[in-house]
Amino acid sequence: MNKDDEMLARALRKAQVAGSAPPFAALFRAAERRIRLRRRMQFTAVGVAAVIALVAVYLQPVDRHDDFIYVDREELAASTSWSAPSDALLPTHEFDIYQEIPRLFESTEADGGALL
Amino acid sequence: MSGSDVLDNNPNISRSALEALHEELFAWALSRSDYDQSVAEDLVQQTYVELLMGKARFEGRSSLKTFVFSVLQNLARSRFRRIASRLKLASLFAADSIQPTAPTEGARNSDLWSAVQKLPQRQRDIIELVFCRDMTIEAASIVMGVTNGTGRVHYDRAKKALRVQLNDVGDWLDE
Repeated sequence: MNKDDEMLARALRKAQVAGSAPPFAALFRAAERRIRLRRRMQFTAVGVAAVIALVAVYLQPVDRHDDFIYVDREELAASTSWSAPSDALLPTHEFDIYQEIPRLFESTEADGGALL
Repeated sequence: MSGSDVLDNNPNISRSALEALHEELFAWALSRSDYDQSVAEDLVQQTYVELLMGKARFEGRSSLKTFVFSVLQNLARSRFRRIASRLKLASLFAADSIQPTAPTEGARNSDLWSAVQKLPQRQRDIIELVFCRDMTIEAASIVMGVTNGTGRVHYDRAKKALRVQLNDVGDWLDE
């Protein structure tokens, strides 16, 4: 800083708007209080969220189909049957697949070692 | 730095060191808040909250004063950014109802100080930090969040602008 700067600094310090600073201890204590309050609010928020989560879990509808159901083996076997498709198709629609099979032509003549 | 004096979440800061900076920090907060005493108090208090909670952690990379001033500067910036966006929104609905905050009588009562207030924001900040808060240009640049080179440019331009505004250097040197 040169001489001009020093004089400018002095003049500025004199001219600046000087507010009255509140006591340090008061502001510092207020800051500590603000932290305590903020923490308390955070704990409360976490607590409320936990309670809501627990209530939601407790109240959610239970899927009753997950319960064990006894099935009698005989009853189950009696309730099911199996039949071949042809059992149903042949008598009703007179569909005979054997009539549809083409007759293969058989040759006994050979040409160059291969059957014609 | 005595053991009980040290902040729990900021082991490199002591309560007594903060107390020593308190007056100057408050003056800096005043200028950040357009000389509104209650806003300045709130800013200082919020700065202490940040330091106490360890959100702003001092690692000794700069001086404590530079660090604490930077914390306050950042808080003020984000606070007034929020307010500005709200005002912008409000002005859409009530263009005439919002008036800019008028400086207090104290802020107007000096030609020199008025000249400083007329400077652009960055120039005003560096003049205040260097001349009124006894900081180096380097430290002031850190507080303002600009590079050292940019800080120097603002500093030089501010001094030139002050000279032009006051016309005669002797006017304010003799005050």
